[in-house]
Amino acid sequence: MGLGGGRVRFNVGGQVFDTTTTTLANAGRDSMLGALLDSSWNLAPTISGGGGGGGGGGVAEYFIDRNPACFAVLLDLLRTGSLHVPPQLPEKLLYREALYYGLLDHVRAARWGAFDGDRLLLAASVPGRAPGDGTAIRAAPDGGCCVAHGGAVHVYNWMLDERRPVSLDHSQVNDVAYLDEGTLLIAARERLGKYDGGLAVFSAVSGDLHHRFRVVHDRQAKSFTAGALTFDQDSNIFACCKGRFNEYGIGVWDRASGEQADFFYEPPGCALGDADKLQWLDATNALMVATLFPKTDNCFIGLLDFRQKNVVWSWSDAGTAASLDDKRVLHAIAMEDERSVCVINQYDDLGFLDFRSNAGGVRWSSRSKLMNRKVPGEESCYPKLSTHGGQLFSSMNDSISVFSGPECVLTSTLRRSNGGAICDFSIGGDRLFALHNEENVFDVWETPPPPII
Amino acid sequence: MSGGGPPRKRNFKIEEFKNRVELNPKYAERTWKVLEHAIHEIYNHNASGLSFEELYRSAYNMVLHKYGEKLYGGLESTMTRRLKEISRSIEVAQGGLFLEELNTKWMDHNKALQMIRDILMYMDRTYVPSSSRTPVHELGLNLWRDHIIHSPMIHSRLLDTLLDLIHKERMGEVINRGLMRSITKMLMDLGPAVYQDDFEKPFLEVSASFYSGESQEFIQCCDCGNYLKKSERRLNEEMDRVSHYLDAGSEAKITSVVEKEMIANHMHRLVHMENSGLVNMLIDDKYDDLARMYNLFRRVTDGLLTIRNLMTSYLRETGKQLVTDPEKLKDPVEFVQRLLNEKDKHDKIINVAFGNDKTFQNALNSSFEYFINLNNRSPEFISLYVDDKLRKGLKGATEEDVEVILDKVMMLFRYLQEKDVFEKYYKQHLAKRLLSGKTVSDDAERSMIVKLKTECGYQFTSKLEGMFTDMKTSQDTMQDFYAKKSEELGDGPTLDVHILTTGSWPTQPCPPCNLPPEILTICDKFRSYYLGTHSGRRLTWQTNMGTADIKATFGKGQKHELNVSTYQMCVLMLFNSTDGLTYKDIEQYTKIPASDLKRCLQSLACVKGKNVLRKEPMSKDISEDDTFYFNDKFTSKLVKVKIGTVVAQKESEPEKQETRQRVEEDRKPQIEAAIVRIMKSRRVLDHNSIVAEVTKQLQARFLPNPVVIKKRIESLIEREFLERDKTDRKLYTYLA
Repeated sequence: MGLGGGRVRFNVGGQVFDTTTTTLANAGRDSMLGALLDSSWNLAPTISGGGGGGGGGGVAEYFIDRNPACFAVLLDLLRTGSLHVPPQLPEKLLYREALYYGLLDHVRAARWGAFDGDRLLLAASVPGRAPGDGTAIRAAPDGGCCVAHGGAVHVYNWMLDERRPVSLDHSQVNDVAYLDEGTLLIAARERLGKYDGGLAVFSAVSGDLHHRFRVVHDRQAKSFTAGALTFDQDSNIFACCKGRFNEYGIGVWDRASGEQADFFYEPPGCALGDADKLQWLDATNALMVATLFPKTDNCFIGLLDFRQKNVVWSWSDAGTAASLDDKRVLHAIAMEDERSVCVINQYDDLGFLDFRSNAGGVRWSSRSKLMNRKVPGEESCYPKLSTHGGQLFSSMNDSISVFSGPECVLTSTLRRSNGGAICDFSIGGDRLFALHNEENVFDVWETPPPPII
Repeated sequence: MSGGGPPRKRNFKIEEFKNRVELNPKYAERTWKVLEHAIHEIYNHNASGLSFEELYRSAYNMVLHKYGEKLYGGLESTMTRRLKEISRSIEVAQGGLFLEELNTKWMDHNKALQMIRDILMYMDRTYVPSSSRTPVHELGLNLWRDHIIHSPMIHSRLLDTLLDLIHKERMGEVINRGLMRSITKMLMDLGPAVYQDDFEKPFLEVSASFYSGESQEFIQCCDCGNYLKKSERRLNEEMDRVSHYLDAGSEAKITSVVEKEMIANHMHRLVHMENSGLVNMLIDDKYDDLARMYNLFRRVTDGLLTIRNLMTSYLRETGKQLVTDPEKLKDPVEFVQRLLNEKDKHDKIINVAFGNDKTFQNALNSSFEYFINLNNRSPEFISLYVDDKLRKGLKGATEEDVEVILDKVMMLFRYLQEKDVFEKYYKQHLAKRLLSGKTVSDDAERSMIVKLKTECGYQFTSKLEGMFTDMKTSQDTMQDFYAKKSEELGDGPTLDVHILTTGSWPTQPCPPCNLPPEILTICDKFRSYYLGTHSGRRLTWQTNMGTADIKATFGKGQKHELNVSTYQMCVLMLFNSTDGLTYKDIEQYTKIPASDLKRCLQSLACVKGKNVLRKEPMSKDISEDDTFYFNDKFTSKLVKVKIGTVVAQKESEPEKQETRQRVEEDRKPQIEAAIVRIMKSRRVLDHNSIVAEVTKQLQARFLPNPVVIKKRIESLIEREFLERDKTDRKLYTYLA
């Protein structure tokens, strides 16, 4: 085939490219170029002259009827592993060609670097089209994202093209999670008089409903409102549930079978059905539940053990907070070492609660003096917290702060002037997505590919 | 364009449509024909003429221009058509060629599927996920499953062929394992459900009935050992089969079928099989068979339990016979040796055949514990066994051998519930050994004491150790006595005194007999010496325990040295002054207690070869009217004659009763102490709990009888250590 010594000559849209089988092997068997080289296909070269007057000297070449400029970029990608798009070449054109060759995953992998909270650059700002405030934004494992707006979830692929939105027939979406890049788990509010709401799995690609989870109390299926969601490494899905007849608690479903596996009824003194945040702690084998102000007057954070069906650790500020000016916990996240939970209040203070001791209150850090830039008149959003790769992220007003190291030292701040306050953000697929409140726009932050040297 | 009228707008739109989609349906049809042709050519092994790029581009264009559904549908129907043809060609294959043909076609299909997927890769990436279709490769497998494997002409034939081949192999024929492997792998590739439903389940059913039949046949004609051998071979064959041509997941299932049919269903019949079952294997030490049984039975539920239960009941039965057979109780040493042999034998079986299984060791131990305690003389016999070994049995044995024997004895000791009874006897036997100087090895004695100490604690052995100390001090005292008083003593008889601390030794207060005057003098000298060096002590002579060496000259002038007990000496010395004495005289002169005197005279006058006295009238037994004479005609080949006392090594019945009574007496303070200890910490406790606690505390030494505990509690109430609760009579309160 082709030239001797593993060399291959392509004529792409009239332009001749010489390359080697080794370079093409980087495309993988699961691509057009990989299949082309497979021995089952008798690589039938078009002899020069027959394929449109390409290379001379009667050298065998293989004709491909595609855009040569894009092929050059993709061939370079196979050669060097890095992507360089000439300024005049539209990205969408390149993506289309990459899809033709089956190289889209290669392009995506080379498009941006591994996530580092301190090296993030603003890559794109995507204007939203839905009316009203966004509820939540979630990053997909492959770099796409989805935005919950009222009764619909808008889904974007990693190229930031919008796909068909998931419509829930106008039920209010409470929480969204990506089970994988093609599967969305959506929790919705139940409306009076209709058997809707609850929890369901949708295709992130087509927007179709795949499965709806049921809750059974006393051997009777009941309608319910699903709140915060999470899932563990095995196949359990957790959601907080509110039934009409005080059936409050945490439901557990098996992902593979789609059936209800368990239900943790709310014990007295622990608000579970209304929780703002669920987080599965793998090493501890427990579920963290946080129910926070302003949903309830008293904040409650607890760790649930499903095997023993008991609350193994809990904290509540009941009886401590008196006036509105007092420090109130507005969001919580378990740190990655699963030893403590980080909380944030309305003054942007970070605080920590130790999982290993049951006594003691929040250990507030003294950052408020430094960072206290409260703008009283402006409508602001409640702060959010997230962790990723040993770094802690917190959103406050229109910026996101990045804290690093065991001491949680502030190392970076991400801010963009327009769009207003950040109401939610999410990290995944090596990207950070921040949803702004006023302009209904979301920003995409990426780490650039590593430098050449 | 907002200003355009309706006709123009429509016109414009049509133009745009034409621009964007230059493919009209005819083109789509044409493109599909090209691809369809290519699919056929691929199945016809005729792909060399095809251009991959062109086909790929054609498929791409169809998807791009929204003909994805047509493409997918076309693929599905074309492939279905091809597979139906293939199915017919497989159906006509004759006999053995059937599997070959199926396998060849499967390989072809896989190859074709790969190439079709290459062409339709773009559809696979874009159209398939967005319209929730099955990916091409999976579609190909599903169609193969539906049209080939599940085709009515192939489905049952395939299953029958596979099962038939496996049956042939079970009956010893050689089959093509490579082909079998390819076919089962195909079923696995089609999905675990296909493999399980279409092959594995029927395979397991057929296997179950095969082995059910075979096991019936085997059990009729084989003994247990052979049956197990055959089962083991079948089991290995099945595992071998799985590793060669079945899915690894089937191993557990097929082995459990074999286990159930061959082992679990016949478990009881096998272990109880006449002349070859478990008991016979145990009796005949058939280690290989036992190991095989263990390894097979452990695979099934309750298998080991069955073995263990039967072994336990067998052990208990034989053990019970062993310890209750009056014939076997005659010789205590032999009795204990038998127990030890029995233990050794089964230890070895458990070690060699049962992989030192802890549960079997426990069963063995509990069986021994059960039957050893059936005989309440076991503690005495074990002590006697040690006595025998330490007296003479260990002569010439190395230190290690001694340790081994003592360890084995300790093992039996651990089974004893009445350890305090053992202690009593051990003390008596040790005292006899020490006082008569019969012990062979001081090291062995001490080693035994150390073992008892580690087993039962310091308290258990403190008195035994006291005995050793006394022996040592006595030796020193005697040396000192002779060193200081030798000139004073002159040529009189030599005295050797063992000074025994009261309480440490199993002595009973016993009135001293009248010693001959020669002896009395030196005894008094020793007494004054000893009390002179140790003030505040009291010496009492235990004349019933001593020995003496005396020289005697008989009628023909022959001289003998007689080794006798102190009592015997006293009697013999009387004959220095006279030749004949009546029983009454002797009793009066010596003041020896009647029972001892009778025994003593019996040994002097009635034992053949040692009859230094002559009795009138001649009879075996001593009566109070007898008269004794010095036997002038006594002869013996030996210069030294040892005249033993007629005393059973074992205890006589009244002595036994006495020991038992002493043991019971000694237990009382121990039980009381335990009750007081418990009540002191608990303050208030009900009757049953006290009994349970006391039993727990004391079981290292003995098993207290609840009735006795109750009596002790009553006694403590009387002495106002405890009182009954005023409202609840079952409750006791501790009074400080």
